Amino acid sequence: MKKKLKKLVNDFSLGELRTGLKVTSKEFVNKKITVQFPEERTPISPRFRGLHALRRYPNGEERCIACKLCEAVCPANAITIDSEMREDGTRRTTQYDIDLFKCIFCGFCEEACPVDAIVETHIFDYAFESREGSIIDKKSLLEIGDKNESAISKARKEDSKYR
Amino acid sequence: MSEIEIEIDGNLVKASQGDSIISIADREGIDVPRFCYHKKLSVAANCRMCLVDVEGIPKAQPACSTPAANGMKINTKNDKAKFAQKAVMEFLLINHPLDCPICDQGGECELQDVAMEYGSDVSKFNLGKRIVPDKGIGALIQTDMTRCIHCTRCVRFGAEVAGIVEMGGTGRGEDVKIEPFLTEGIQSELSGNMIDVCPVGALTSKPFRYEARTWQMNAVQSVARHDLVGSNIFTQSYRGKVKRVVARDNDSINETWISDRDRFSYEGLNHESRALKPKVKIDGQWQETDWQEALQFAVDGIKNNAKNPDQLGVLASKHSSLEEFYLMQKLARKFGTENIDFRLDQSQLSIGSSLESSITLKEIESIDHALIIGSYTRLEQPMINHRIRKAALDGASVNSINSKNFDFNFKTKCDALTSPQKLFSTLQSILKAILLKTKKDIPNDLSKVSPSEIHNAIADDLITSKNGVIVFGEHLNSNPNSLAITNLIAKIALTTNLKIANLTLSGNSHSAEKVNFIPSGKGMNAMSMLNDNSKAFILMDVDCEFDFINSKLASDCFNREDVFVVALSSYDGNASQSNADVILPMASFYESSGTHINFDGLVQSYRASVKSPGDSKPAWKIIKVMADLLDLEGFDYVDSSQVKDEALQSSKAQYSLNEANIQSVDDSQVTTHWQYAPYATDNVTRRAKALQESNIGMIDRAYLSKMTAQKIGLSDDDLYLGVPISIEESVAEDYVFVHTNQARKA
Repeated sequence: MKKKLKKLVNDFSLGELRTGLKVTSKEFVNKKITVQFPEERTPISPRFRGLHALRRYPNGEERCIACKLCEAVCPANAITIDSEMREDGTRRTTQYDIDLFKCIFCGFCEEACPVDAIVETHIFDYAFESREGSIIDKKSLLEIGDKNESAISKARKEDSKYR
Repeated sequence: MSEIEIEIDGNLVKASQGDSIISIADREGIDVPRFCYHKKLSVAANCRMCLVDVEGIPKAQPACSTPAANGMKINTKNDKAKFAQKAVMEFLLINHPLDCPICDQGGECELQDVAMEYGSDVSKFNLGKRIVPDKGIGALIQTDMTRCIHCTRCVRFGAEVAGIVEMGGTGRGEDVKIEPFLTEGIQSELSGNMIDVCPVGALTSKPFRYEARTWQMNAVQSVARHDLVGSNIFTQSYRGKVKRVVARDNDSINETWISDRDRFSYEGLNHESRALKPKVKIDGQWQETDWQEALQFAVDGIKNNAKNPDQLGVLASKHSSLEEFYLMQKLARKFGTENIDFRLDQSQLSIGSSLESSITLKEIESIDHALIIGSYTRLEQPMINHRIRKAALDGASVNSINSKNFDFNFKTKCDALTSPQKLFSTLQSILKAILLKTKKDIPNDLSKVSPSEIHNAIADDLITSKNGVIVFGEHLNSNPNSLAITNLIAKIALTTNLKIANLTLSGNSHSAEKVNFIPSGKGMNAMSMLNDNSKAFILMDVDCEFDFINSKLASDCFNREDVFVVALSSYDGNASQSNADVILPMASFYESSGTHINFDGLVQSYRASVKSPGDSKPAWKIIKVMADLLDLEGFDYVDSSQVKDEALQSSKAQYSLNEANIQSVDDSQVTTHWQYAPYATDNVTRRAKALQESNIGMIDRAYLSKMTAQKIGLSDDDLYLGVPISIEESVAEDYVFVHTNQARKA
């Protein structure tokens, strides 16, 4: 009987509406958690594994030495490498392709690389306009690396103490 | 040797007195780490990696140089052995660079493997590592001497197997370096084996440098086809291309070695002049076409030109496979012609290798005497020469009757310098000396001959030899009296009861003989086909420029207006292009299955290692379809093993060994022998880039004596038939020995 009466008073005094409005008005003044992607971005871990990149040394020399360990370790067979002896006698790649459709972003290539050449960046918002676009070649991998070198090295530095 | 019993790791095993511990461990499947020990080389015991604990001896002992004794108790895995092995590993890694990712040996490196098991993950050594500058050692072997761990396997290989001491250790202690003594690069024809014996990446294959990683390649067991031995090999291919050839152990054939020709010739397969599409020549213009049209064009041409079946001639290279030889002769015989031949480089064609070898490869090792007639065995048949060398090192005496004193890698006792025109009379006088010494009747034709001192010495050795062999080789091919000479050799061998090794025909010639790939009955041989009014030819893997003993005669014949030439060829080089009317691109070495019959008569089949490039097809398939189009019956084969089975049923070629009529040769006239350098012997090898750039590949000299030079009016800087000359003492008079990689011009 008492319970019924309480519900009756609550219903007629718009109790639920007031609870709702209380939450709304509280959130109205609270700090907002929605981010305006892509203008704004959520923080990500330094270990985040996104789009690949090939890095260079500070003097501009590409790091990759065509050892093909990433190709060997890749569980999805997404990497294809061809090597040659460059004119100066060093071992270099002539072809370095990653098929992003095959890639499962496991990060093994990064782990296997003895010279930190192939890395996975924090880039995750990319798109292709054609099916062939899924295969990124050496040139574009190096470009991605050049563009994002500061972010890449920063992430590596942050993570280095846990390695 | 007496049998003893020892205990290794708790297992009682039987062994012979004097066996090294490591060989017993290997036999028992117990793994002992090692770098300097190699089963085919002498024991050096300088890497110290194989240290094991022998009970009763305070210090760990090297397993490779410690002979087993009765009752010995050996521990390869206890703490003492492990401690010693780990310590040695640590020392070896002090100076070895950690550049495995860019090292071609990475993945098949003995140091890498042993370091995984015995190495420590952290180095205590924090000083600078040693760096050794590289000296180039030629076009075949790449050196990275910083990686060298001084096991001296390459040094011992050079001294003991190749017989040319080219690498050596210089300096002491920290400054020890393994380096070549000379700067011209390695001269040996077996040098590539140094790559195989090197346990680290100090010596690697130069043409293979950075091409692929070892774990990526697909290895297929195959057989090398460049010489009579049929060395067992692995072809290693990557993305459908042969990238490397390495030796496969077979003690009765090639032991663990292969010649450089077998190892590096694969480069020719990827040459840019490969024939990729069928081509036909219409009104003097080459046109690419499809298989159906090209085959129809070929068959129509043959039918129209060879109105009589015997106007068709069929010629094949001696490097073809058993199946190819068999189908080709079957096609020819069913078509109705007997004009079949593979002996393109012989002047007198009733012989060939009529005189069958009566010795096996393994037996050559245990001979007590060898007489080498007309052969530079070291460069012609490297693996057979290696066996002769082994026998010579064991004390066998070797004599030679050659037109030039060749640089053998063993000591010869007597060298009878004889020009080809005098070879017959030399052998006659040796035979007479033998007959005189053994008190046998002298036939009439030998009555006038008087043996000289050196002939007597050679005869003495032949008589006293109990288990000797007479080896004769390619230099007889160009001799106008080769038939008579071969008969004479047979007589000498019969009188002295010696064995015979016939090396006149190389490649897969034993297969050709097996399936009777020579004319019989009224058929014409290679030479007379070219002279006669033949109207159509089928050539298989033949290069008109190089392969014929008289290349001008051949090209003139093929270029005649009324002659129709079908060329099955892997390459559409200039020579085959200009002479043929149809080019049917065929698969080359390692691209089709086949069979090789070697010096011992051993039948070895192999399967294709890679797919042939472009539209080219295995030759046996091309011949089969051609036969079908010619409406010939009996070509319903589904795979090449059927062809092989049928081919092996056929009866071997019988040469008609007529008593030869000796052609009188003018002793005073200058004769020439055109000998191809070892890397100019077949189509594939001729296009192998690294081989051609090696020391042996660049051989291009005409050797003649001072007297001969004066006689034909040549001096030091002149050319003889386009070949630079070299005037030397050690060449027979009235004779020019042309050793070259150029096409034959004589």
